[in-house]
Amino acid sequence: MPKYKNLLLTSKRRKSKFKKQKLHQHEPESLFPEKEVEEEDEDEGGFKLKIAAPSQEHGVQPLGNLYFNPGSVNVRNTGLGNLQILSDELVLDILGLLGATHLGILATVTKSFYIFANHEPLWRNLVLEVLKGEFLFNGSWKSTYVAAYHPKFQFSGDSESNLKIIDFYSDYLFQSWLCANLEMKPKWLRRDNITRVRGISVEEFITKFEEPNKPVLLEGCLDGWPAIEKWSRDYLIKVVGDVEFAVGPVEMKLEKYFRYSDGAREERPLYLFDPKFAEKVPVLDSEYDVPVYFREDLFGVLGNERPDYRWIIIGPAGSGSSFHIDPNSTSAWNAVITGSKKWVLFPPDVVPPGVHPSPDGAEVACPVSIIEWFMNFYDDTKNWEKKPIECICKAGEVMFVPNGWWHLVINLEESIAITQNYASRSNLLNVLEFLKKPNAKELVSGTTDRENLHDKFKKAIEGAYPGTIQELEKKAEEAKRAEEQRVSFWDSAKADAFKFSF
Amino acid sequence: MSSSKKSSDGKSSEIEEAVASLTMPFNKILLTSSDGESFEIDEAVARKFQIIAHMIEDDCAGKAIPIDNVTGDILSKIIEYAKKHVVEPDEDEDEEAKKKLDSWDAKFVEKLDLETIFKIILAANYLNFEGLLGFASQTVADYIKDKTPEEVREIFNIENDFTPEEEEAIRKENAWTFNG
Repeated sequence: MPKYKNLLLTSKRRKSKFKKQKLHQHEPESLFPEKEVEEEDEDEGGFKLKIAAPSQEHGVQPLGNLYFNPGSVNVRNTGLGNLQILSDELVLDILGLLGATHLGILATVTKSFYIFANHEPLWRNLVLEVLKGEFLFNGSWKSTYVAAYHPKFQFSGDSESNLKIIDFYSDYLFQSWLCANLEMKPKWLRRDNITRVRGISVEEFITKFEEPNKPVLLEGCLDGWPAIEKWSRDYLIKVVGDVEFAVGPVEMKLEKYFRYSDGAREERPLYLFDPKFAEKVPVLDSEYDVPVYFREDLFGVLGNERPDYRWIIIGPAGSGSSFHIDPNSTSAWNAVITGSKKWVLFPPDVVPPGVHPSPDGAEVACPVSIIEWFMNFYDDTKNWEKKPIECICKAGEVMFVPNGWWHLVINLEESIAITQNYASRSNLLNVLEFLKKPNAKELVSGTTDRENLHDKFKKAIEGAYPGTIQELEKKAEEAKRAEEQRVSFWDSAKADAFKFSF
Repeated sequence: MSSSKKSSDGKSSEIEEAVASLTMPFNKILLTSSDGESFEIDEAVARKFQIIAHMIEDDCAGKAIPIDNVTGDILSKIIEYAKKHVVEPDEDEDEEAKKKLDSWDAKFVEKLDLETIFKIILAANYLNFEGLLGFASQTVADYIKDKTPEEVREIFNIENDFTPEEEEAIRKENAWTFNG
């Protein structure tokens, strides 16, 4: 157990640009703006806040407002004293090292400390650390914690009794509140430029999409799934019973997870994502089937030693995954059983705006949350020639995510889905290439014997499908040579053209 | 560690830096604080600061690097800590060394007032020096633990800005902290 938490990685740094937000005050008397928050370049309505969002969590305002109130003092600074020279993130990092009682005491020091000490992500960490998956969500993370440890203490209800604090300005905390309470804007959902197909043959899928590595949305291939008819919340609770599924850093029973997902209002909601659902609850395995296009599953040669490859995914509106590339250079399919998901995809050679992959490819993650990405970076792509691929995938539909593609997914409503990653002949060489990399042993997910995965896999493939790898390598060589010859043909043609012009 | 104050003339400091780059031994790096102090350190020490490590890797570090956000007094403390922590002893393998280092850390921080520690936190964050950032933050957290609200106000030099009614409401809200 490291002596000091790795602070540089635990809190998400807001390195992203941040448009100065200004809240408009509709009524001169009330110091708190209405629920509508306007942005200058808005083309319709304002932000749509989630229903019943308190108009201000304790009254945090963006720094922009301070500049419109000359002579106003920022209670954030006066209330922190010497500590004010630290950024909000650094203050929160320090508070993140404290236990619940100390945080509670700190909240009584000044208004500033009151707001910092009540920052929900701090309490979420405490709950997950101490209560793990056993927590009973109680409206907020703080009250969840207190209810568990001090059951006799009565929380006097929700936000009405919380102190309303004015004159506290902080971009970081305001943005944090805003991202937790924002709904997806219609303009972010409008673009839908993916190819949709229905009823094509496997060969057509491979030649048109898998081999050229193009995403596609497949309709109609879940028609035979019992899951489509049966899987509802109630059914799953019944059939899964007390079995616990993986939710972020903990494991939870379904009922407890739904209790949380119903009440949570967060920037990064906890997402249920379990790689062993079929082993844990075999009946679920029997109620879905791998669509016919994806039956070639070469990691299957490793049997029980294969890396994690299939997940059940359940989450509320707003949950999802920010930009990433799937590990091991595998391709993936994602089938929505209930609900709907918004997808944004970029090809392997186009890094999405706002994403900073590390040079060795070890970090293929996006530092900002999904909503923050839409707020701050989505519009950047408006004027690009090569726009990202976007779509909404609804119940009964399947997304094909080709290997190496960047993708972001957000649930537009509570959704239940199944996803699998796989290696087929089309991407086998890429996978082997990836596993050969020196840092692959850290990147390989879901296997206990990380170091030898490449050798193990290669050996197993040669055992089960002798000669396949050589065949694929030969084909790749030929394709490369053909490409080189084509290029040099045009180069020489150009040269001849020059000659003739003399 | 050599430390030299630059003249107030910015031009001559550029020249000094250039000369330093040419005359410095191969594996040394020169850091210059915002107020003109220079520190020559081993590359291994400089690498504790991630932003410098990246510059070295990308080959864009001249041998002299200006650290515009940090004053000399703070930078010197940070370098002092970095030198002691170039090699981090393994807790399991070398308990003795770990204990010694911990006690050095404790003495190091004992002599510093809170304001200095805050400045160190800011600088360690800027330089991306994970070990010191964590240690300094933990130090501040330890200061806060077990203090009453009044004591916290004293430490950070703050005035209570709650009205009596607000204070009453807040105490009620957090009454659970007092019941253990």
